[in-house]
Amino acid sequence: MTGGQGPWGPTEPESEATVIVPRPAAAATAGLVSTDFVGAAARNRRATWGLIGIMIAIGALLGYLLGAFVESGNGAPNFNPFASATGFGFAIFMIVVSGIWTLIVLRFGDRIVLGLSGAREVSAEEAPVLHNVVEEMAIAAGVPKPRVAIMDTDALNAFAAGMSPDHVAIAVTRGLLASLNREELQAVVGHEMGHLLNLDVRYGTAVGVYVGLIALLADAILRVASWGGGRSSRSSNGKGGGAQVLLGILLVIAAILAPIAARLVQMAISRQREFLADATSARLTRNPLALISALEKLGASTVPMANANRATQHLFIVNPFRDFSAKASALMATHPPLAERIERLRNLR
Amino acid sequence: MFGWIVLGLVVAVVAYTVVTYNGLVAGKNQVANGWKQIDVQLKRRYDLIPNLVQVAKDYMGYEQETLQQVIAARNSAMNASGPAAAGVAEAAVSGALGKFMALAESYPELKANENVRSLMEELTSTENKIAFARQHYNDSVMAQNNRLEQFPSNLVARLGSFPVAEYFNVPEAETAPVKVALR
Repeated sequence: MTGGQGPWGPTEPESEATVIVPRPAAAATAGLVSTDFVGAAARNRRATWGLIGIMIAIGALLGYLLGAFVESGNGAPNFNPFASATGFGFAIFMIVVSGIWTLIVLRFGDRIVLGLSGAREVSAEEAPVLHNVVEEMAIAAGVPKPRVAIMDTDALNAFAAGMSPDHVAIAVTRGLLASLNREELQAVVGHEMGHLLNLDVRYGTAVGVYVGLIALLADAILRVASWGGGRSSRSSNGKGGGAQVLLGILLVIAAILAPIAARLVQMAISRQREFLADATSARLTRNPLALISALEKLGASTVPMANANRATQHLFIVNPFRDFSAKASALMATHPPLAERIERLRNLR
Repeated sequence: MFGWIVLGLVVAVVAYTVVTYNGLVAGKNQVANGWKQIDVQLKRRYDLIPNLVQVAKDYMGYEQETLQQVIAARNSAMNASGPAAAGVAEAAVSGALGKFMALAESYPELKANENVRSLMEELTSTENKIAFARQHYNDSVMAQNNRLEQFPSNLVARLGSFPVAEYFNVPEAETAPVKVALR
């Protein structure tokens, strides 16, 4: 739609009539409600590129500080902490490495994710209803039908994987198939389809790569700094001594803060996208009530997810680690609280 | 200096025209494709209905009239052409099918039949697919008509033939609530 307010912004009055109608056949009468996923994806893409930019900047800054610290330790005569050649070298190295890493993940990410989660692809004969529901959602979104997979666990969860629109998969657990009715299943699949349409999987994975890389470097720096700091105290009569001590302190602070900052950015992206995927589901099915009741069932289930993996947790419809992270800070959660998601769906118009 | 500004403006106008024209062509094709997608699902429904009616006949001896209505609605819908006529005819099929589905509820042996169950699921799914395909089609129609009518893309639209796309309207009969007679 032309509003450009995001999925939760004020929308057309026509949608008010459709959201309370549970039958898609009747809901389709108000065809004026926009399913502008292209616009939503474009906004998402811009926001995510901004956040990835912040990630790259954090990584590059960390690299620069490390390089400058190393150069100052060499006792160069004309050392300028703001124009360290080694620092720039390290910064560029960080950017190149993260770029290559991203390309690798984009190429092989979907297979890795399906494998990590223990999902098995199923045929249309094995799971006819699931296949039908996935195809219905693909038709509603106007995209090719994704592959369909099942995870053999009684836990209630679902996730989407895939890096390019042509090679995507939607996986649900066996427990989910058993305990949701057709409309609720449709709403959950719609949520996963939303992740695929909004390109969340791709950018979520890319962001995850940067978080890992920054954490790795910060870890290395803390080791190098403690070792280098001990060495420099013996030879602190050089010209770069003062600058080196200052740089060392800066570096340690940066190495401690950078991974936290990167993680916060990742979680913020993830939470925003859960809301967006919920909204997309409601727009595809025109039936937010089904998603509300599905989320309530997911929230009430206490069966733990056996194959959950930290690296893929942001891809699931509800956090597979929610039992452990319930007491953790809201800032570090990959998913917004279920109550808040349901509240937003109730207010959706 | 003035020459450069004029040249820049001309380049900008040409670039806008090319991009908009291509967008209009893409929109026209998307609308056509959306219509074909509805068609695919409607054909699937035409194929499923005789199968279901065939199986159901044995169980629903007293409901021959409903079964015949379903078949008749299906046959007339197959011959309808154009979004407006198809809308009316398909609504009749949906109505007849809805009645059939509701009646089937009171025949436990019918619902227990494995064959019937899978046919019912297929038919339910096909009904949903038709509705979703229609939803997607109407969204494409709206996007295309916006481009055709909004300024300044409406000026570009005059360079080619871009007919105003037609919505798949659902007639009154289908939007009215289903009446269920409880005995």
